Amino acid sequence: MRPLYIAIILATFSAVGAWQVTLIPESPMQMAVGPSLVPGVVVAGLSILAVLYGISALRGRQVDESHAEDQSPLPGANIRLLSLLGGGLAFIALIGPMGFIIPGTLCGMGVARSFDAPLGLKSLLICSVIATSFWLLFAVVLGVGLGPALPWLF
Amino acid sequence: MSSFDALLAGFGNALQPATLMWGFVGCFVGTLIGVLPGIGPALTIALLLPLTYHVPATSMFVMFAGIYYGAAYGGSTTSILIKTPGEAASMMTALEGNKMARRGRAGQALATAAIGSFVAGTIGTLALTFFAPMVVDAALAFGPAEYFSLMVLSLVAVSAALGNSVLRGLLALAVGMLLGLVGIDLQTGQPRFTFGQAALLDGIEVTVAAVGIFAVGEALYLAWQGRESKAGEVMQVSGSLWMSKSDWARSWKAWLRGAFYGFPIGAMPAGGAELPTLLSYYTEKKLTKHPEEFGHGAIEGVAGPEAANNAAAAGVLMPLLTLGIPTSATAAIMLSAFEGYGIQTGPQLFASQSSLVWTLIASLYIGNIILLVLNLPLVGLWVKLLKIPPPWLYAGIIVISTAGVYGAGNSVFNVGLLFVFGLIGYAMRRFDFPAAPLIVGLILAPMAEQSMRQALTISMGDWSTFVTRPLSASLLGVATVLVVTPPVYRMLKRP
Repeated sequence: MRPLYIAIILATFSAVGAWQVTLIPESPMQMAVGPSLVPGVVVAGLSILAVLYGISALRGRQVDESHAEDQSPLPGANIRLLSLLGGGLAFIALIGPMGFIIPGTLCGMGVARSFDAPLGLKSLLICSVIATSFWLLFAVVLGVGLGPALPWLF
Repeated sequence: MSSFDALLAGFGNALQPATLMWGFVGCFVGTLIGVLPGIGPALTIALLLPLTYHVPATSMFVMFAGIYYGAAYGGSTTSILIKTPGEAASMMTALEGNKMARRGRAGQALATAAIGSFVAGTIGTLALTFFAPMVVDAALAFGPAEYFSLMVLSLVAVSAALGNSVLRGLLALAVGMLLGLVGIDLQTGQPRFTFGQAALLDGIEVTVAAVGIFAVGEALYLAWQGRESKAGEVMQVSGSLWMSKSDWARSWKAWLRGAFYGFPIGAMPAGGAELPTLLSYYTEKKLTKHPEEFGHGAIEGVAGPEAANNAAAAGVLMPLLTLGIPTSATAAIMLSAFEGYGIQTGPQLFASQSSLVWTLIASLYIGNIILLVLNLPLVGLWVKLLKIPPPWLYAGIIVISTAGVYGAGNSVFNVGLLFVFGLIGYAMRRFDFPAAPLIVGLILAPMAEQSMRQALTISMGDWSTFVTRPLSASLLGVATVLVVTPPVYRMLKRP
């Protein structure tokens, strides 16, 4: 990915923002400033800045850390990113039906994998201890509602 | 009641066992997160926001203040022992402190950092105690037009002064402001940027954005790099923790000078802690009688910047408590916590929540003492924490982040949003966009819009109200200068 792609993403974001501004219903109330003025100004500002960023990126003046010597990624960067995001997806998919500890453990294992820990029994054990500890801290000690620890426990 | 009486009453509250316990927990957690890489005070406070429904406001803010000060203390340990500054403000400490550690003087480096943090933190808190009521008196003259202009100045200053590029800072700000406007418009009840989704009607939770960017984004970036598991060695705490007579003589003036740089600059919109630490370092380098030691482990090079860093932390609380203006990501999250309790921030905070504010200020004095006591004797424990392998450290950070966000409202949608913000944070880190403007924009955009509408209602729709009122015009003038000066300066410098 290069800065130019970021400029394209920002321009798309601005375009979607502009489309959403046109959908804001005008208020029947009489007032100096309606609900769409500030969003309109912000979207306009963002669009201008996105164009300026795109021009600057085309001229090669924007930064991408992947080109810096001490910041560039080691091989396997995309797999590591996907492992971490996969852990998050597992949490999102399973938190409803499975309680907190199983999705929390899988999420932790995905993150640990992205930092080069092999997927295995050790990872499973450590991450289940982490998930259980946080469930106990949040749900039992602090009273924050995290749902059941396991699907068969209420 | 005079400020002094109010402060004494604040001490009375802060010394209650329950409040003291929350302060102690805050200082401990703050030092812990300051020591650990990848987790900072903004993220920690954001994660603890769900607790605001369960804990009284005073206890919660005393704990937040402990976390905030503790993180500034704890950051020095990481900088000195593994040369990994958790934040830009600890860069100078990492430079000289790690060199001291390599020369077998880690103990003295940690000691001058901790005592300097205590001295400067106390000076900063004293300044906050005596100047805050004056700022409040002045701010009571502010109307909505002045507030709007002040918010514009803060937004612009945070974007233009932080990070390496004004353009990227302003882009981050604009994205943050746009996200801040998502949800129902409170004045008219019309939905904005909701895509017809009921989950977006209440707007985007600050916690979700902050935790996503600071925790998930940071973890994604470090995982992408793949260098974290090959991180550097942790230095042994060598040498005595007691400083020699010569160390004291070389440190005390640096502490004072650091404090006098830190507080006023920290109190300015976007002053931050980076500039005073840099100024302090270069001042010490200029004034030292041992210039040959700079770059090789000079004690003044640790004492001054660490003091400046902690005094700046006190300075940042000034605009937050007196004007309701956050000038850093952590302050923005604390402002959001005030909102969570339904507490109106701004100059009226000192009148309407006098007990809370003065208890908070009193707890800062007490917190400084707790931190001094916690830091040095427990240095062995902090060093052990630095040895936690990255896979388990980051697994813990992400699981606690998802638990915190999910626990706030049992919303799977918000957990999804957390990872979306994580991807945004990763991209921002990779392409060098500063994160603070996005968070500050997210929080201040709706507040600025409200002030602007109030000002226009008062002026019967006359837009010139922002430039005909002298104070408002001055604030807008300064904001314009901040945006225009850097590119013009660069253009003039070009051959």
